Amino acid sequence: MKEKVLSIATLFGAPLTLYKNTWGKPGGETLAIVSGLHGDHLNGVYLSSRLSQFLDNVIDGGDRDYTLHGQVISFPVVNLNAVQSGSRLWPYDGVDMSMAFPGNPQSETTEALASAVLEHTANSYWGFVLQSAPPHNEDAPHIQTLKLDGRIKKLSRDLKIETVRKLNESPKVSLYSQWQSRGMVAVTLSSGSPRTVNLPQCETLFQGIVNFMKAEGILKDRRKIKPDKNTAPRFYQPEDEVAVPAGAAGMFLKEVKVGTSVRQGQRIGEIRDLYSGKRLEEITAPSSGFLVTLRQYPIVYEKEPLAIILTAKKSWREFLSRRK
Amino acid sequence: MQSQCILSVQTPVGPPVEIIRHTYPAAQSTQPTKRVSLVAGLHGDELAGLYICHRLMETLKNLEAQNPSAFKGEVHVYPAVNPHALETGTRLWPFFSADINRTFGEKNTPSLVAKISAALLDDLKSNSDLVVDFHASNLHLMELPQIRIIKNFEKKLIPLAKLCNVRLIWIHPHAEIFESTLGYNLNQANIPTLVIETGICLRINKNYCDPIVQGILNLLQQTGTLDLGETIAEVASPKLVQPDHVAMVHARSAGLFVKQMQVGKMLTAGEKIGDLIDPGRAREEVRAPCAGLLFTLREHPLTGKGAPLARIATEKPFTP
Repeated sequence: MKEKVLSIATLFGAPLTLYKNTWGKPGGETLAIVSGLHGDHLNGVYLSSRLSQFLDNVIDGGDRDYTLHGQVISFPVVNLNAVQSGSRLWPYDGVDMSMAFPGNPQSETTEALASAVLEHTANSYWGFVLQSAPPHNEDAPHIQTLKLDGRIKKLSRDLKIETVRKLNESPKVSLYSQWQSRGMVAVTLSSGSPRTVNLPQCETLFQGIVNFMKAEGILKDRRKIKPDKNTAPRFYQPEDEVAVPAGAAGMFLKEVKVGTSVRQGQRIGEIRDLYSGKRLEEITAPSSGFLVTLRQYPIVYEKEPLAIILTAKKSWREFLSRRK
Repeated sequence: MQSQCILSVQTPVGPPVEIIRHTYPAAQSTQPTKRVSLVAGLHGDELAGLYICHRLMETLKNLEAQNPSAFKGEVHVYPAVNPHALETGTRLWPFFSADINRTFGEKNTPSLVAKISAALLDDLKSNSDLVVDFHASNLHLMELPQIRIIKNFEKKLIPLAKLCNVRLIWIHPHAEIFESTLGYNLNQANIPTLVIETGICLRINKNYCDPIVQGILNLLQQTGTLDLGETIAEVASPKLVQPDHVAMVHARSAGLFVKQMQVGKMLTAGEKIGDLIDPGRAREEVRAPCAGLLFTLREHPLTGKGAPLARIATEKPFTP
């Protein structure tokens, strides 16, 4: 059910309206999914719309294989003005919506939107923020989390996402941190590049979220299908990350794909001078590992990270033994 | 004066991005001396700080030539710490759409912006006993020259802030968004840092900036960094405003705000501040909810519901 949550009068047009989708009835545990905090993070917006289509079909009886037993709510687009502007931030206020929480219902548009989203999601049990890579980069689908505990382990396995990346920190003013501080089991699902939709990546995440809902009993599958082989997520600590910096400025031409493994010394790409076309630098992998982030936009400054390699991947068992 | 590039980054098409520190050393450096750093241009559209730094550097240059023994301590000036944003006149570094003053202390995989903020923070920590960070307001609000102090830092900062010839010292509650700012991180590192806010972005208001130039010279004199003898002009005593002594006026609806006041005016309760107009409905008069000093006023007419229109410093605690 699409529901109007907030309507903000605008000066020259129709009111700006924030919509929430809800499927299922309250009472049980709720999954909240939020996308479109940045206006150019379109993978998440598309993925959310794909989930809406699927859950609408389940509720309408169009998909007889599934029944919904829990509750799912989603905010497909939050930073409405930025999406309409085709930009990461809304040019009028320049506020980074990922740093606008908890917001304020009495304040300006961006803060009022943040407040409404938090108010409507804060009582959920699970929370997923859908995002794309930072500007000019592409992410392989992966989970970002501040905690690596048993609940996140189970969630990662159920989502069938192999790469789980622990962050050093998340700003307290992010939606993710606000959810965490309220005891929700929350993660960020990052994939793709700003301003683009990567359908295969979205399909991977869509299947993962459907699987998660089945595993948690939010969704029941009438078919007696033997589950796929369990995914074994790999957990990466901040110190397992290796950033590959640009030693020169120019045009970066990549030679590998994000989401693949690279060997130490393998060529990742090269930087060429814009005027002479001469090769300024050959970029090679300083370590073997999983390429979770890769530069997408070719123009680069010196010292910018061109890639992030996750090294020393560990299974959950290995991770726990190292903590002891 | 010695100039040093603390960080240089090659760019794809032009000259490098360089952050420069200009140092006016102490005349006699045998003993530890007071070190004061002045920072401007974190936001590329806030030009007041650049102007203030330019005026101060002019004064310090003359002093260095005419009376070098006046330098009892070191003065460091970082006049333009976000060069590409300054060149485009935008708050954010346009290539990254990133606000440098929201990246200090970031611990995740560094972006170039975070690397720059880390380099600046390290350099300031290594070279400063006291920092002044100059800002103008954003495109929307006009601010009376003021120093903003986060609650809990006030004990150390108020005596220093009183020396700077601003009209107002506003002690405001902590908010988590401040934790990624330069001022917060330096104060947390026990380096007293004053954040000066004056005027509005993309403009230079000499009437606001020139007194601050005098105030900074006074700060340098009173902290023993400079010895200017009797030549220093007397500075004004600022109004000290506690968190509960500020009345915020917000727009109750969207419209065009047409101001009828100037910041710095002492208002009486009910006095008209401006009109909020919309062709489709009746004009809404915006009036002061209480008496006090008008220290913030909306300048950008385009106004959304809930947008700040004014801030008033009151004599008594204000309850909306």
